[in-house]
This record gives sequence, structure tokens and C-alpha cells, in this order.
Amino acid sequence: MMLWKNTINELLKIATKIRSYIGIGALTLLILIVLFAMKADGKSYIGFVTASFEQTLSFNGKILNGNLIAFIIMQMLIVHVPLLISLVTGDLLSGEEASGTIRMLATKPISRSGIVLSKWIAATIYTLIMTVWLGFLSLFVAKWMFGTGDLIVLNSNGLLIIPEADLAWRFALALLIAFLALWTVATLSLAFSAFAKNSVGPIVSTMSVIILFTIIGTLDVSVFDAIKPYMFTTHMAAWRSVFEDPFPLSAIWESVIILVAHIAVLLGITLIRFNKKDITS
Amino acid sequence: MKSVLLVVFILTGVVGFCQTAEEILKGVIDKIDLVEDYQADVQIKAAIPFIKVPIAKATIYFKQKDKFKVESKGIAILPKQGMSDLTGFLSNEKKYSAVLGEAKTINEHKTRLISILPTDENSEIILAKVYISTSEDLIYRTVLTTKSSGTVSIDYEYNLNKKYGLPNKMTFMVDIKKFKMPKSVASDIRNNEKKKKYKENEKGTIVLTFSNYLVNKGISDEVFKKD
Repeated sequence: MMLWKNTINELLKIATKIRSYIGIGALTLLILIVLFAMKADGKSYIGFVTASFEQTLSFNGKILNGNLIAFIIMQMLIVHVPLLISLVTGDLLSGEEASGTIRMLATKPISRSGIVLSKWIAATIYTLIMTVWLGFLSLFVAKWMFGTGDLIVLNSNGLLIIPEADLAWRFALALLIAFLALWTVATLSLAFSAFAKNSVGPIVSTMSVIILFTIIGTLDVSVFDAIKPYMFTTHMAAWRSVFEDPFPLSAIWESVIILVAHIAVLLGITLIRFNKKDITS
Repeated sequence: MKSVLLVVFILTGVVGFCQTAEEILKGVIDKIDLVEDYQADVQIKAAIPFIKVPIAKATIYFKQKDKFKVESKGIAILPKQGMSDLTGFLSNEKKYSAVLGEAKTINEHKTRLISILPTDENSEIILAKVYISTSEDLIYRTVLTTKSSGTVSIDYEYNLNKKYGLPNKMTFMVDIKKFKMPKSVASDIRNNEKKKKYKENEKGTIVLTFSNYLVNKGISDEVFKKD
């Protein structure tokens, strides 16, 4: 009960901070810019997608549709949304320490683990809101603006065309996996937040880890091959696998397990660190 | 009586064999000219390297001389060459010269090869080899060599609309150049998996099955203006 009340308090704290709306505002603005750009010059993007085949084949039908725009938006923003998430979640514990409210928080009839868990649940809800908002803008607004149709997907094997009737569950699952990836980032920044005394450090550290791991992941050097499958950044793009044929079920399960394992380990580190943290001096 | 029939039979055969390329083509063009416009449902089944596409359904519209449109709810992939451009090309007799070639049986139909060479140096078609049944005035195979699309081979099957020269099935074999995808666009998470190796140029097959032909029922020009 106390955990629930504290979680509500944490959500209220998030709701009263301006930085919480920076993420949602920036996300909205970014998506609106992409939608505007696609409306203005989407056909040239399509040309880029189909260029390899244009000499021999003609592509008929509505290629530039809401489903393709939603896919493009998700592809573009999954890289940037973690920054917007960590802006809020990286401040949850360190912000209390920086403002000196951590001691007052500790006087409440709730354990330190309870404090961490309530902040983690609040971070989860904030991440969920961001993901739902991303899904709403990219899917519903894009479909309203561009209509619906089959989805043309690029991967290194070529082009895959997925029928419209086969897309609703794929987008729902893709958003769920994207949420899992963002949840991992939120938990990572919360973990950094438990070690820091101000909120800048956890935000910068989270982004640094994402950038570092992404670079390692893209390097075609065999020395990193052993660790690549276990880095959470490798699996942040797992949502894209949902749009493959045949459906790579085992690979998606692998990504889900690795992301959940990261969340569990990072939450464990946060709990241990915060329970041992000296907040009295 | 028997001898008269034999003479008539031999003469018909000789006359058929002595037809010039232009005469054979004229029979085909006359059939093409019977069609002012048509509309048909088409099922498109494509097996193309580098592209995975489900079976698509579309409606095609054609109106003389060169108005052609494909309308599909989903994404439909069609060959760039050989749909309506060939009939348009054949109809303009001044723009090519035809040479009679060998006889060949295609899918149990006796055909004569007509090699068509465009006289216009800017023509997209470099050479068209057309296999025509002289008894039916129908094209059963076309091999188009084009400037930009490589070689396109088309096999035709006819059913109800033979009299108009409209096929109920067309099988296209097209050249597909090796697909080059920028790595930034195609970020696969499972980079280590073995990918299917493709040759530099591969053949793709597109099978079009036509149904519900509506011939010479009148199609508004507005149909061809819509996006």
C-alpha cells in the first residue's frame, strides 16, 4: 500500500517537472516534422527505397502510406527517444540527493527498497506513456494523414512487402518490444542515478553507454563478436525483426529475455547501491 | 474430290509459309486494333530475387493508343516493359522493320519468329523477337531487349479473349540486377547470420493471370488521370 502511495507521489513529482514535458514535446515535434517532410517530399524517399529495381520493375499501389510512415518514424526515433527518457529517469534518485530531499524521503514509513521500487515503477509508467504517445502519433496520425496500405520494408536481403491485414499485430508487438528496450534504458539511467549526486551525470552516462555499445555493435570486428549478442543495444532494434518473413520467433524471444535480464540486473544493482548509500552525511 | 482438297491444303500451307513478316504482323495488329479499350482484374504472382512479395490483385485499364493504368489496393509489382508498350510499338509500323525468322513450336503452338528492329535510334526497345502463330494471329512469346531493363521474356496463354488477342496469362522473365543496400538503411540486428548469396544478375518471374475482361465497354479518360 505504501509502495503504491509512494509511486503516485513519484508520478506527481514527474508530472510537476518541466523536463518531463520536454521529452513528450520533443517527441511530438520530431514526429510532426517527419510527417510534414513526408507529406512534402515523401515520394523521393520512396524512390530511394525502390531505386535498385526501378529500371526493371514498376511499383504500383499506395506505397507512401501511414504504415510506412509509422515504420520510418519508429526507425528514426528509437535512437533518440532513450535520451528523452533518461532526461526524466536519470533524475529520479540523484535529483532527490541534489535538492536534499532524499533524507526527508527516507524518513517516510517505507523501506529504501520501496523508495527505489516506487521510483522504478514511476519511470516504467513514464516510459510506457512515451511509447504509447510514439505509437499513437506514428500510427494513428500518420494513417489519418497518409491513409493505409501494405508495408514495404527494407532489410539487407532486399525488399519485403507485408500485406496490410498482417500489420496491426506486428506494430503492436513492435511497440511492446520497443517499450522493453526503452524500459531497459530507463532502468539503466535509474541505476546511474543511484550512484550520482546530480542528474546531469546519469543522463550523460546513459547516453554514453548507448553510444559506446552501439558503436561496438556496428564495428565489423570479430573481437567483439562474443559480447555483441549480450549487449542491450544490440536488442534495442529487435522490434524491426517483427517485420521479417519468416517471423524470427526464437530471435525475438532471445532479445526479450536479454532485455528483461538487463532490467532485472540493473534494478538489482540500483537496490543494492541505494540500500548501502550513505545519505546521512 | 480428294485430289482437289489435297491441292487446296497444300496451297494453303504454301501460302501460310510464304507470308512475309509484315503480313504476319498485320494479322496481329488487326486483332490489337479491334480493342478500343479494356479493363481486367489481374492476379500478380512474383518470384523476384531480393524481393519478397505476397500475391497481389489489381485492376488494369487500357485505352487506345497508349493509355494504361494499374489500380491496386496493395502494392503490386509489374515489369516495366512488355505490358502495353509492346502493342503500341507494334501498331506503329513506320517505326520498325521486321524480319521473318525460323519456325518454332511454343507450348504446342506452331509459331514463326519475327525479329523487329526499331528505326528510331532513341527507341527504348533495341530488339523484339516475337513468336506469332500464323493460324491464330496470336503472339505466344516475346523476347524484348531493352536499353535500360535488360532482356524481358514474355510467354502468353489465351482463353476466352483470343479474338481480341488478349491473354489470360502472361509469364514474364526479367533481369534483376544485384541489390545494393546502404548499410545505414538496413541495420539488421543479426549481422552474423548467413545471408543468401545472389549472383550479379538473376532472373525474376512475374505471372499475371487475367480475369473478368471488359472489352470495348468504354473507359473514361478520367480513370487515367487519377493518382
